[in-house]
Amino acid sequence: MSEFCGCPGSRMLEFQQEDTLEEGAEVRIASQLRQWPIQLHLVSPEAPYFQGADVLLAADCAAFAMGNFHNEHLKGKGLAIACPKLDGGQETYVAKIKALFEKARINTLTVLIMQVPCCHGLVALANEALRGSSRKVPVRCVVASLKGEVLQEDWL
Amino acid sequence: MERFLESPIKELIDRFPALGTVLEDYGIGCVPCSVGTCLLRDIVEIHNLSPGDEEKLMGRIAAVVAPGQSVAIPRSGRDRAAGPRKVSYSPPMKMLVEEHRRILRFVALIPALTAELDVESGEGRGRILDAVDFIRSYADRFHHAKEEDLLFACFDEGLEILKAMHEDHRRGRACVQGVLDALGRRNAGEVSRNLAEYGEILTEHIRKEDEILYPWMDRNLTTRQVGELYARFREVDEGFLEAGERYEAFIAGLEGQYLDAKVEVVR
Repeated sequence: MSEFCGCPGSRMLEFQQEDTLEEGAEVRIASQLRQWPIQLHLVSPEAPYFQGADVLLAADCAAFAMGNFHNEHLKGKGLAIACPKLDGGQETYVAKIKALFEKARINTLTVLIMQVPCCHGLVALANEALRGSSRKVPVRCVVASLKGEVLQEDWL
Repeated sequence: MERFLESPIKELIDRFPALGTVLEDYGIGCVPCSVGTCLLRDIVEIHNLSPGDEEKLMGRIAAVVAPGQSVAIPRSGRDRAAGPRKVSYSPPMKMLVEEHRRILRFVALIPALTAELDVESGEGRGRILDAVDFIRSYADRFHHAKEEDLLFACFDEGLEILKAMHEDHRRGRACVQGVLDALGRRNAGEVSRNLAEYGEILTEHIRKEDEILYPWMDRNLTTRQVGELYARFREVDEGFLEAGERYEAFIAGLEGQYLDAKVEVVR
């Protein structure tokens, strides 16, 4: 009936992967991270790397699921990460995202989430911040499958 | 029902314990979850049920949360026809599409405007000049200038599709000039013909932009460009705020005058 049984956010799954690299081949992928810290509670909207930037707000799990996270999603962007299911103090998150819109005057916000239902809470936080913001900014939502494929991209 | 779809699942199961059993029947195991902040709509959507199963599930949910009441059974909201990686209009494109809606409202009024064309009286000519003012100020200087000066500038101006759009704009402007020339000659037939041609050009032009050009542009604009375009469009909008309200009132006034009258005749 359904791909999932039980809460998709915590159900155990194991993926069978074919090794796509030849034995002995070495691939170095340069990190596209250009800042620290990255956790949403720790980042400051006043940091210079957020001013006028395109910002990626990624669910904690996304970078692990997506093989090309750095090149396809992080490159050229400021970063904040959060988990809408497990993190506390989410009202602070809303205030911080709002400050990114209003004070850092970011250019765009991309919210990258996993397909599990709990992850949509991150989009809800961004939406709440946008509704309360005096400055409107394009917000894009990218949904990744558990295997790291992009399932959907939408501008809110 | 919509209100329940937007509620966190734990809250709903606490309030309607039978809901947990219904969800479990469809392999949705939210009852043991200690967090339960997922919204019911997201939960139904993410489980990717067949349309038939989803409809049955929604019916059973409705029977639990609103027993004995007749409620509309909504879909989870997912567009099943859409393939993966479907991209919706970006915010700056949405702004242009909304402006198209207003221009099409005007175009829809052209037959009524031309049916009662009066090029002899000052009042009649004033009505035509008001229409020309809307076309030139709103459709052209405001909307088409956003496209030509800001949006099209993000692309190679030598592209055939952009040349075609420029040509449509040029033909539209020529029709407006034709309206003014004909009005000067008190030639009602020519005024009417030019307005009708303008309406045809704009209808087709807007269809091409909404269905082909803007989606293509959205696929090719970078996230950076989308943000910059949106900021520039908003600056233009802020400068046009008062005029925008005036032109909305103009269109609404014409609709009140012509469409309401049409309804009256039908009655």
